[in-house]
Amino acid sequence: MSDETPDHEADKALAGEYALGLLSPDEAAAFEARLATDAQLRAAYADWAEDLAMLTDRIEPVAPPPDSFRRIEARLFGRPSRRAGPAWLRWGLGVAAAAGLALAVGLGTGILDRGPMPPANPSYQAELAAEDRSLVVSAAYDGSQGRLFVERQQGGARAGRALELWVIAGEDAPQSLGVLPDTARADLEVPAALRPQLDGAILAISDEPPGGSPTGAPTGDVLAAGPITKL
Amino acid sequence: MNTRADLEYWIGRVALGDRSAFSDVYSATSAKLFGVILRVLNDRAEAEEVLQEVYLRVWRNAGRYRVNGLSPMTWLITIARNAAVDRKRRRPAVGVVSDTAVLEAQADPGCGPEHAAIAASDSAHLQGCLDELSDGHADAVRGAYLEGETYADLAQRFDVPLNTMRTWLRRSLLTLRECLSR
Repeated sequence: MSDETPDHEADKALAGEYALGLLSPDEAAAFEARLATDAQLRAAYADWAEDLAMLTDRIEPVAPPPDSFRRIEARLFGRPSRRAGPAWLRWGLGVAAAAGLALAVGLGTGILDRGPMPPANPSYQAELAAEDRSLVVSAAYDGSQGRLFVERQQGGARAGRALELWVIAGEDAPQSLGVLPDTARADLEVPAALRPQLDGAILAISDEPPGGSPTGAPTGDVLAAGPITKL
Repeated sequence: MNTRADLEYWIGRVALGDRSAFSDVYSATSAKLFGVILRVLNDRAEAEEVLQEVYLRVWRNAGRYRVNGLSPMTWLITIARNAAVDRKRRRPAVGVVSDTAVLEAQADPGCGPEHAAIAASDSAHLQGCLDELSDGHADAVRGAYLEGETYADLAQRFDVPLNTMRTWLRRSLLTLRECLSR
């Protein structure tokens, strides 16, 4: 076992237990909280996840029922999408959306499709704004669901770039809540480990490559930020 | 076949709300994930529900895909496996495993022909490393991953106290990790 420190060894076993789902809920939550800030632990977990996924290598694929995808779309979007359209139209919409044009929202997903709805009884809210208010995003957190509803009021991602949302609690490193979609509204799941840290934390949006920061930390400019306040 | 690059590109597009890319991800991966979920749950109706939940998570969490540093198939398989295990553990008949559950007699789920078939099918390197574990611990790893067995389940199966089971398995995990890293 060479030059490994005992702590690091213990973390390797712990990451394996987490990947196997053997930790108690409390232990798993504590592990996830560390995972958000500890790159070495993240790497240990990723090793286990990759290796254990091989246990499924020769599980035979089984075609799901034909209507399964329609049901998923109905649950997400309220109705099935008309798939695709001509490639040039989709391309055009992508460009328009990247440029932050309201037109894209109307054409791309249907005028009537407003996306997720804000929570009825949010426990926290925030307004994230750029200094010149060129980007303004409102956020409302539903504590009962652990979900954060966000809505872009003004502005959008730069062309060919993405907006990524972060929560910054106290002195901790920013933790990602995910990339914002092209649509104005989004409904994001807040990881359980982060939920207790929201009160008084700061929400921030950074400029990132498509798909989000490849490092787990913000890599581009912080475009907008604002404090989370209790309602 | 779709490449890893295709999947990563589509997941990146899904994070931006691209439904067409979401459909591409579903087409490329749903049969594999449905197979994995069925393997864990062995119940088609339950597996269909879990499959839907898995793709809801894929849609909602695509923006966080890169954070964990997993390959796209591993990310998807992990979501599917975890959702299936969560569902299995919520089944009323199994319930929350308590200390008393450890004492209850139960048929050994790890010794059926199905288990042997899976054992024969692990990828070669993983299989080789699992083979290096002392008696039964390869089954414990498979049981936890593919059956959602808990420490209480494993302690019962191996007929040892729970803390002993945990000490054992942690030691075996380190052995396995060392072998897999070679």
